[in-house]
Amino acid sequence: MRDRLEISMQANHGLFAALVTAGLIFGAVASATGDVFYLRLATEALILGGLALSVDILLGFTGLLSLGQALYFGIGAYVSALVLRAAPDFWLAIGAATGAALVAGIVGGLIANRVRGVYFALITFGMAQIVARVVYNTRELGASDGLIGVPVLEIPLGPVSFSADDPLGFFLLTFVIIGLLYGAVAYLLSTPFGRVIVALKANESRVPYLGYSAWAARMAAYVVAALVAGIAGALYPMLRGFVSPELMFFASSGNALIMVVVGGVGTLVGALYGAVVLTVLKSVIGSLTEHHLIVVGGIFIAAILFMPKGLMGLVRPAMMRWLLARAEARAPRSGAVRRTTQ
Amino acid sequence: MTDVLSLDGLSIAFGGLRAVDDVSFAVRERAVTTVIGPNGAGKTTLFNLISGALKPQAGRVTLSGRDVTGLSSAAMHRAGLARSFQITNLFSEMTVRENLRLAAQVLEPVSHALRPLRRRGRAADKVEALIDRFSLDAKVHEPAGALSHGEQRRLEIAMCLASEPQILMLDEPTQGMSHADTADTGQLIRDLAREVTILLIEHDIGLVMELSDHVVVMHQGRKLAEGGPAAIRADPQVQAAYFGQG
Repeated sequence: MRDRLEISMQANHGLFAALVTAGLIFGAVASATGDVFYLRLATEALILGGLALSVDILLGFTGLLSLGQALYFGIGAYVSALVLRAAPDFWLAIGAATGAALVAGIVGGLIANRVRGVYFALITFGMAQIVARVVYNTRELGASDGLIGVPVLEIPLGPVSFSADDPLGFFLLTFVIIGLLYGAVAYLLSTPFGRVIVALKANESRVPYLGYSAWAARMAAYVVAALVAGIAGALYPMLRGFVSPELMFFASSGNALIMVVVGGVGTLVGALYGAVVLTVLKSVIGSLTEHHLIVVGGIFIAAILFMPKGLMGLVRPAMMRWLLARAEARAPRSGAVRRTTQ
Repeated sequence: MTDVLSLDGLSIAFGGLRAVDDVSFAVRERAVTTVIGPNGAGKTTLFNLISGALKPQAGRVTLSGRDVTGLSSAAMHRAGLARSFQITNLFSEMTVRENLRLAAQVLEPVSHALRPLRRRGRAADKVEALIDRFSLDAKVHEPAGALSHGEQRRLEIAMCLASEPQILMLDEPTQGMSHADTADTGQLIRDLAREVTILLIEHDIGLVMELSDHVVVMHQGRKLAEGGPAAIRADPQVQAAYFGQG
């Protein structure tokens, strides 16, 4: 006797476990063969997966299409880069980026949540473009060149310490952080608070008659999404050693959206799969032809036409049926018991 | 018996149209009060004013002695006023149980908002009790959108009750129902009236006369008359404005 929302989240967790397993195998193979390129590419994919996760919180659960989610990713990245250049401390950079994303998320939410639907999409797009342009024209922030020369970071984790330059170490750290973000969001969506968020997507106009302010719930979801994007963004300069205004441009937000759609909207884990698939495809196809965007565009169209539920849609329905059957088998007569006791 | 809800000179105009014009009446505790009137009389607009969906331009709404005029819908709901809608308004992709759970979770303290959903406790117990009472056992795992019309209307009433309101406002609960379903719903409302105050909008005059303790007649935004069912039926003004048309 389980709720569909619970079963659905369990299926996501199963797929996340598969992703972790694949990631560990990949990490072991890559480090055994001395690979650096694919480890760093996979790390970048996971970081971008964090941005895609942020998009899915809004699109897949709250029912809001943001076309400017890269704004918060960029803010996290820039704040992290600024902190690292001044004082190379991992936790300080993450903390500062989180704080900045929180403030920016509240301000952006107050603006964007005044409207709904296509207007919301346009405002989020506009806000990101404005900030990106301001950064692009601000010499103190490196203008069009961005901030370069972020020092290689020494990351202390309890007794051990490793360098962000260590491809396997930083890959695993990124995996842990993105995993924690995934876990935190999945947890949040499973609470009574999360149910209200999900209710917004299902039927927003009914939410006030459950005793909840739809506006407040939308704001909360928006700020959570901004935090996720900001924290993911904070990892970016640690990997790449630089940040640039392009991180906030529409191409970034649009890519994140494509990752979510290709992976599977409203599944959280689909955002991460989508990010891995798209990042790897772009790199592989990019090494074969300059016109890789044409191929990516084609894949996006094909994904929408032939896999409307994304990659996750290929396996999730079967998983959910299995989980449901298992839940029923475990509590075959709970309904009957309950009835007789009343 | 005390008044749970009282309206005092409630008014709203849309442009030049006085949709609700200086309407006053009181709703007594544990009674069924029904608002009737021809289409366009302003009944649903009145419900929207009371439930916080619209802010009145004049007048006052008092709920259990507290002035609640102009509160938001969410605040009104928390103050103890639950309403259903003329057009079925559910979370159609969610299952029956999820709909009820969502409606009942307001019973739990705010401090539980960020904890895992509890399988026991006030909200969970309420959900199971409502599933039982409304005979929705066989459908708990069905998406609400897959239920029959009558079942959806029942679920809607169950969701309103889930928050344990002081007053239940039902906007045409028998709308689009078969004769048998209408009779069942009438019986249900009669049962509910023993535990909760009910304010109703209803078109089925037979049902209105049978169910109501008090009837308020609206016509062109104004209150035309109010009184017991028998008195309303005998009122010549009401007959001219309302029954005369039918």
